[in-house]
Amino acid sequence: MIIGTAAERLDAREKVTGAARYVSDLVVPEMLHAKVWRAPVPHARLLGVDGSRAARSPGVVAVCTATDLPVKRLHYGPAFKDQPILAHEIIRYAGEPVVAVVADTERHAAAALALIDVSYRELPAVTSAAEALAQGAPVLHPALDRSGHFRDLSGLRPVAGTNVCQHYHYDRGDVARAFAEADLTVEDVYHYPALSHHALEAHCAVARVDGDGLTVWTGTQHPFPVRKELAEVFDLPLAAVQVIVPLIGGAFGGKCYTKIEPLAAALAARVRRSALTITRHAVTVRLRTAVRSDGTLLARECDVVLDTGAYADIGPRVATKAGYRAPGPYRIPCLSIDARCVYTNNVPAGAYRGYGVPQVTWASESQMDQIAERLGLDPLAFREKNLLKRGEEYVAGDTPMDGDMADALAQTGAAIDWGRARERGRGVGLACAMKDGGGTHTVSTAAVRVNADGSVTLLTGSVEMGQGSRTALAQIAAETLGVPLSAIVVESPDTSITPYDHGTSASRSTTVMGLAVEAAARDARGQLLELAAKFFGTEPEKLAIHDGVVACGERTMTVGDVVSGHFGLVGGEVTGLGTFVPGTWSGSLGGATLFWEVGMGAAEVQVDADTGEISVEKYVSVADVGQAINARECAAQDEGAAMQAIGPALFESRVSEAGHLVNPGLIDYRVPTFADLPRELETVLIENRDGPGPFGSKGVGEGGTFCPAPAIANAVARATGVRIKDLPMTPERVWRALRDARGTRRG
Amino acid sequence: MLGEFDLVEPTSVAEASEVLARHGDAARIYAGGTELILAMKEGLIRYDYLVNVKTIPGLAGVRVNDDGTLRIGGATSHRALERDPLVRERFPVIARMESDVANVRVREVGTLGGNLCFAEPHADPGTLLMLFDATVRIERKGGARTIPLEQLFVGPFETCLEPDEVLTEIVVPPLPVHSGSAYLKFGFLERPSVGVGVAVTTDDGRVREARIAVGCVGPVPRRMREAEAALAGQTAAESRNTLAEAGRIAARASDAITDLHGSADYKEHLVGVLLRRAFEQALASSDGSGAP
Repeated sequence: MIIGTAAERLDAREKVTGAARYVSDLVVPEMLHAKVWRAPVPHARLLGVDGSRAARSPGVVAVCTATDLPVKRLHYGPAFKDQPILAHEIIRYAGEPVVAVVADTERHAAAALALIDVSYRELPAVTSAAEALAQGAPVLHPALDRSGHFRDLSGLRPVAGTNVCQHYHYDRGDVARAFAEADLTVEDVYHYPALSHHALEAHCAVARVDGDGLTVWTGTQHPFPVRKELAEVFDLPLAAVQVIVPLIGGAFGGKCYTKIEPLAAALAARVRRSALTITRHAVTVRLRTAVRSDGTLLARECDVVLDTGAYADIGPRVATKAGYRAPGPYRIPCLSIDARCVYTNNVPAGAYRGYGVPQVTWASESQMDQIAERLGLDPLAFREKNLLKRGEEYVAGDTPMDGDMADALAQTGAAIDWGRARERGRGVGLACAMKDGGGTHTVSTAAVRVNADGSVTLLTGSVEMGQGSRTALAQIAAETLGVPLSAIVVESPDTSITPYDHGTSASRSTTVMGLAVEAAARDARGQLLELAAKFFGTEPEKLAIHDGVVACGERTMTVGDVVSGHFGLVGGEVTGLGTFVPGTWSGSLGGATLFWEVGMGAAEVQVDADTGEISVEKYVSVADVGQAINARECAAQDEGAAMQAIGPALFESRVSEAGHLVNPGLIDYRVPTFADLPRELETVLIENRDGPGPFGSKGVGEGGTFCPAPAIANAVARATGVRIKDLPMTPERVWRALRDARGTRRG
Repeated sequence: MLGEFDLVEPTSVAEASEVLARHGDAARIYAGGTELILAMKEGLIRYDYLVNVKTIPGLAGVRVNDDGTLRIGGATSHRALERDPLVRERFPVIARMESDVANVRVREVGTLGGNLCFAEPHADPGTLLMLFDATVRIERKGGARTIPLEQLFVGPFETCLEPDEVLTEIVVPPLPVHSGSAYLKFGFLERPSVGVGVAVTTDDGRVREARIAVGCVGPVPRRMREAEAALAGQTAAESRNTLAEAGRIAARASDAITDLHGSADYKEHLVGVLLRRAFEQALASSDGSGAP
């Protein structure tokens, strides 16, 4: 068995030794370097750019503004074509690229930036979603042009004349009546801050234009959508645009869809630059829940507002998904959900690991504990009573719940020793969540090439960004083909060579690409058996392949001998192809959910009442993976996700004042480090082999980010009686809440 | 990105001073660069010349005089102090503080002199060393002076050093016998929000002297003499009752500001919390051995 083992990562050695190569390591002959002059203010009308001094600076080849770019379309974006490659007429956020300098070296390009003279007139800035929704707020994008790239985005509902670029609404049941008849109604507002992805590798792209068209090397999670975007920007056929993705040094959603590629490509040829361009949405959730005194959930009203910044990017889809997932993994007869994605003059926000789930789960799982407390119910039992059972529908028409959440919850409770009483100042809390995993109506294709020596080349468009997709996909191919893992080489995505893939996001690669790889390997295996059967003079069904050897009873032949024997020792190969196309078309997201990614978590905390400091003594993260292809990688993904989510739970946030980021850089914007590890961190993998992916697998990698914040907040509430509704739960915030609570009790 | 500059590597303090005098505002001492280079990368400051004092022979190193005074060369790294056997034995509180400065990469290249002279308010060493009435030796071509460490700090990122002066040595007298000391810090970002150092000298069950220093919360680290006076002469039991008042006095005197590291009133509260905790630790370690 190769599946389910803790096989060593295929890229472990090259990464640990530093041999791994990323886009910024790439040197293309005659390569030039670009640097960008960024807007110093959040909102302004551009009056003019004087680049003449910069143009005379040593080594400078070109100084470009929006109007200098040789493009057919200046604007791009996966939902709306609202984002200019360089700011045109209007500056919409502080840090927006306005002028690009191309020079022989990065240093010369950077030096020339100081010589650029830009004149502009400041406009009133919209610095929060609340300001953007207020009466009389400046409308940042009066007209919107739909991109039409993704089927689920064809139904976007921007609200004309406002800053709302998507308003998702869903309702069912008689919500008003449910609230009128409820024994208890709880209503609260929760806030989740804006975050930066802070992948180790910054954004970087290298572009080359020649007679054959355009080639771009870039660290994107979406090579094929980037190809489509570039084809539209330059009005080229898809085949004339080549997007190549080497290893990526972390992404977390920050490298989804098109980012700096059009700029690199538009700066004519052979250009290189790097930049930080995207954030996680700051979200405010107003949540109102109606419940019977026995703990039966009756209705929920969710009002979710996302600050998407100056350009929509994929924000509208994040809003839709956040709204869709806001009620939580429960059986709730009546729902009314509104999710609005709002333009502001902040840095654009986009995809970030979990796609809205961490934000809405912060609200819904906090409130679940508040309800349990008000009703005097055990939070675990209260959740269990309402969790969807296997086979139950979340929303009519969508895929029914495919996992055993009650079992996952029980395992969560057991791992944290839920029933044990804790000493003063200590508490345990838990949370559960799910998201529709795998992406909505997404396609993957894979090719397996069995070479004449028995080695195997696996061609996929899946991007290795640290998550271990190469290893998992190689394991699936090796297991299906019957060859050793060491026989497989996985190629990097190259849109001109590797077959089509939607992208590496939504925890989809192991499941969706995995199915394509499995199909391709099965196709190749069938061909190999056909060929081998001729040599053995038997039927293919009588043969087996194991560890690279085809066996017919006692007689054996290596896979390499079969291939080379067939082609007469001169070479040749057997090529298998596999495609995954989703079959059903239903559900309110425009396609049925492939699988439900269930993530649960439990925290034990100690609170220092003097300082307000929360110390996480233990955190348990539970992931339903169906079947682990590589148990070690699954656990690593889940641990990494949980650690990443502990950041905004305790200390991480983008702090802005009047549209300016006041904590840039990793000194003042703190991400979790090893010092922030809980005293104990445990991952529980649920493996019921009930997923749609190869060998019963489900996607993993985002679920660990859902629950840390609410689990910790619930533990803090149980330890201290204090409920925090705004993240991060900094020591000062906890201290103030404790002080206010003491004041209230005394008063 | 880091702009271009010339790296000058003098072989003596006099030569360094001469280079600094020649280039004025265009030059700056490089003594590890863990703060300086970050600020230069961000484009906040720019120099045409960096004068590396780390390679000047004799400027790094630790020794202890016969009278027990610790003498630390200005270019001694945090890591060297953290690991130095003499410091660990005679001044364990300094070794402990140094072992918790930033991260191991900073401690390896960053120097004590560099840390003090950059005068970033959210730093640990200055606050703790003040407890010892440490002095610093400052040299320039053709002259030298020694000043109390307290006088070095003028404001955030500002010291009383003249452009051509180099901090060459930090002199740390030992605490009196029957003394204990502790340094505690608190924060949630990379740099601390509050740092409090306390040294207590006991005499027959009484607090003969209490020394208190507070850093990070205000523009410069400083001794809190009014709070110290409130504790002096008390029995251990009395002093515990006075701690809250001493904490309030120190908090008021700390000039706390509101910033990313916390609101002023929260930092003032933390000064009191850390003062109490550090005092208890210092008192507990003032066991008569004389080793703080």
